[in-house]
Amino acid sequence: MSSRRPRSRASGGASRISDEQISDLVAKLQALLPEARLRSSDRMPSSRVLQETCSYIRSLHREVDDLSDRLSELLATSDVSTAQAAIIRSLLM
Amino acid sequence: MAVKRTAPSPPTPRPNPNPNRRAPVSGADAASPSKRMLAFHFIRALARIHRSTPVPRRTRTIRRAAYSSMARAANPRRVWSRALLQQMRARRARTRRAAVLRRRVSAAPATPPGGARSITGEDQESTTLAALARTTAAAVPHRQAGEPARADALRRLVPGGNEMEYSNLLEETADYVRCLRAQVQLMQGLVDLFSGR
Repeated sequence: MSSRRPRSRASGGASRISDEQISDLVAKLQALLPEARLRSSDRMPSSRVLQETCSYIRSLHREVDDLSDRLSELLATSDVSTAQAAIIRSLLM
Repeated sequence: MAVKRTAPSPPTPRPNPNPNRRAPVSGADAASPSKRMLAFHFIRALARIHRSTPVPRRTRTIRRAAYSSMARAANPRRVWSRALLQQMRARRARTRRAAVLRRRVSAAPATPPGGARSITGEDQESTTLAALARTTAAAVPHRQAGEPARADALRRLVPGGNEMEYSNLLEETADYVRCLRAQVQLMQGLVDLFSGR
C-alpha cells in the first residue's frame, strides 16, 4: 500500500481524502457483494452500495446464527473424534 | 541450507514445521483472511465447547466462538477485530459478574453483610454498562460532510464502526465482510463434513 494516500488518524478534518479515493473504496465494497458478478461493471450509487452491504452483512450474521445452531446439533450427535481428526487433516493441509 | 526429509515423498502431505520449507499458504497477502488461522481458532474452540459446554447453551457459545475466533484470526490492527474482542470480553465479564451477583443475592437474602457487597457489585456493573453506553453514544455519527445517511446503519453493523472516519469505515467494512464470508464458508464446510460422515 503506497504511502501517498493520507492515513486519517483520530484528529478530524486534517486529512484530505479525495472523492476519488472514497468512490474507489465504495467500488471495492460493491465488488464484494454477492450479485457483483451479475452487474459487473455497473457503478451503483454509493448509497445503494451501502444499503446492499448492510443487508449483506445482516444476512451473513443470520447465516452464522443458523450454522451455529446446526453445528451444535451435529456436535451432539456425530462421532466427534474421528470427524475432528478428518477435518483437521483436511483443513490444515 | 539442508532441507529435512524424513521419508521419500509421503503419500499424504503433512504440515511441515520446518521453516526452511515454506508451504504456500492460501491468502498470503494482507487482503484475504488466512483460512488456516480461522480454522485453527474455530476448531479449537469447538473442541473445547464439545468437552465442557452443556448442550442447551451450545448454540450461543458456538456463535460467540465464531465471532471471537474470527476476530482473533484477523489482522489485529483492524479496528473491527479489536472492537469485537473488546465486546466479547466485556460481555463475558458482565455475565460472570451478573452470575456471581445472582448467586450472592440468592444465597444471602438478608441485606446487611452480603447486601453491602452486592451493592458495590451492582454499582460496578452499572458503571461498566454506563461506560459502555457512553462510549457508543458519545461517538459522533457524522464524521464527514459528504457521508451518506446509509453510513449510520453500516456503523451499527460493523464492530467499532461508530468511532471511525468515513473512509476508514469503508475499508474496515470491506475487511469485515471478507472475514465474515470466510467464517461462514468455514462453518458451512464443517457442517457438510459433520453431516456427510
